Amino acid sequence: MLDRLRGDGERPVVDPGLAGGLRDWLEVGLAERLGPLSDDRPVRVTKERLNQVLVCEAHLAASQEGPRPVTMELARGSLVDAAFRHWITVGRSDDPFVDALAALDVAGDQADVVAFVEGLHASERAQLAADVAHHAHSIASGWPLVSHRWLPRTQERIEVPLVGGRVILTAVVDLLLGAPAGERASVCLVEVKSGARRLEHRSDLLYYALLETLRTGAPPFKVATYYTASGDIDDEAVTEDLITGVLVRVLEGTVRLVRLAGGAAPVPSPNPLCAWCVGLPRCLPGQGRAGTSIPRRGRLEDGEESAHRAPPAVSVRGAG
Amino acid sequence: MAQGDAVTGAMNVHVVTRPAPDAGCGLAVTLPRSASVTEALLALPPERALDGATALAGWLRGELAALAAELPPGPGLSIDAWRLLSALRHPEHSSVSADDSFVPSPRICRRAVGIAAVSRCVRGWSRSPASAVAEVLAAAADDATRQQAPDPNGPPWWAAWYLQLPSGGRAAVAAEAVTWATQLFSAFEWDRFDRPPVIGGRDDWWRTAGGRLALQGRVEVRAQLDGTTAFAVVAHGWSDTYWRTRLGFPALVSLLARGERAVPGRVVGIWPASGQIRVLPVDIPILRQVADSVLAAAATLVDARLESASGAPRPRRGAGGHKPRDT
Repeated sequence: MLDRLRGDGERPVVDPGLAGGLRDWLEVGLAERLGPLSDDRPVRVTKERLNQVLVCEAHLAASQEGPRPVTMELARGSLVDAAFRHWITVGRSDDPFVDALAALDVAGDQADVVAFVEGLHASERAQLAADVAHHAHSIASGWPLVSHRWLPRTQERIEVPLVGGRVILTAVVDLLLGAPAGERASVCLVEVKSGARRLEHRSDLLYYALLETLRTGAPPFKVATYYTASGDIDDEAVTEDLITGVLVRVLEGTVRLVRLAGGAAPVPSPNPLCAWCVGLPRCLPGQGRAGTSIPRRGRLEDGEESAHRAPPAVSVRGAG
Repeated sequence: MAQGDAVTGAMNVHVVTRPAPDAGCGLAVTLPRSASVTEALLALPPERALDGATALAGWLRGELAALAAELPPGPGLSIDAWRLLSALRHPEHSSVSADDSFVPSPRICRRAVGIAAVSRCVRGWSRSPASAVAEVLAAAADDATRQQAPDPNGPPWWAAWYLQLPSGGRAAVAAEAVTWATQLFSAFEWDRFDRPPVIGGRDDWWRTAGGRLALQGRVEVRAQLDGTTAFAVVAHGWSDTYWRTRLGFPALVSLLARGERAVPGRVVGIWPASGQIRVLPVDIPILRQVADSVLAAAATLVDARLESASGAPRPRRGAGGHKPRDT
């Protein structure tokens, strides 16, 4: 797996004008479409908010009305992320569930997840622990120890201010490998997913690649999504075309987010996910699409209609 | 690269953030960035005159002493860069609880662990930030285990807390520190320093008589230049309109604590999350500007403390018309 992530060919030469050109494109695009922005709180753009606003503005607005509900899937995802970080940092874990829960507990910023897990019935908690152990086993099988010389760093935050700080593009990357770029690209970004493969995962990665380019002046040479349940990894070489392609998407989503933050009414866009939207009881177009006003609970199951489920892209099973 | 320029990840000549009216902005570096950032830190500053620095320090000491005298009974007031900027950005929301409790966490400890790790790497004692962090944590845990009584030369402040963490918590501490240390370690070309830089080192502290009000200046790197020094500061988030205050604050505290000769020639700021680099030449106008900001923030924080003690709302002197901004 590490050989695949590092690649065996020559890394692409960094175009010294790329990052500045991308930034100008974003700055000018936002200025042209939004005009002067207020000095109010900056609009923070994340991959989740981008996905939501591009699918349906009304869904984004509805999902922000209350505190984030913690579900079993969310808790599992947080615990698996922590287990992956533990593995990359330490290289061993006697009890992945206990270690991951301790990591979330000491970090302090996911108290809602910790409380959710601690409040589970013993049988549910045991099932979750077994689930996390399964994912951790997959991680341990697929990921050999990463050489310290590759400068592995986990959960690295990226914040790119635009238009004088009135818009902030943000990301937290699960794993970065490689020293900062010189004349050639040298960094690989890895995102860890505990759930099923989805179409937006590729957009998430390219969003990260764009931010890394804007931050450091050099694009990553590769991005990858690692699926802990299956051990599969989807990796993709980063090209300038890919980066400029995602920029258009980011620009469109950011314009929508800024308009919503400024008080514009959210526009509903009926789609296959309406049936799961928390705003469904108040959304007539969504009800027309879903055929009901009562939102479904839980996650999409195999075989259910989804605009987001994706076929495997370039995929390899992680070899131990 | 011109003094005062913003160096960013965008290479060559590209506007990155809204320029300050009195500074060139957006002139960037050619990769590899660490070479340019190292040059920015180590280049000899131009001749400067700090005429009036001693008088400025005397005036500021007096103003701060007057504010300290207004503080209600109870704990004193310490102002570090974080508290300074919070008071400037949000004076109306500033509150200084008398019982500010300190709770360690991986994010709070990452700088302390990471700075020790980078120091090991720069001295050639460790081969990588990850190795160095593991060694720093192991040594501190060992020291904490063996410590029998309080000892100023004993384990670092976070060691006892770290020692009682379960393995998952310890790994989280290590992970945060590795990421932080890697960012600082890869920011400079360390072999280009003619004289070994001080990594971390002791913070500068200045206190009013009686110690009721204190300023804490903290920098990550002190580089020795011919006849002067240069500081490097690692900052959170992204560089906003208060960047000059952020970088000038440790220089001002050096002036107050150790006199004119301790004032660095420049301060280089690194914002790893945004990739922004700022270079601040330190001169009298900058020191005056930062002194004004410190006074405004101190007044805001004293008012917040008075409000907390009395229970009655109180306007903040640092708010409103006297809101200092860098740009």
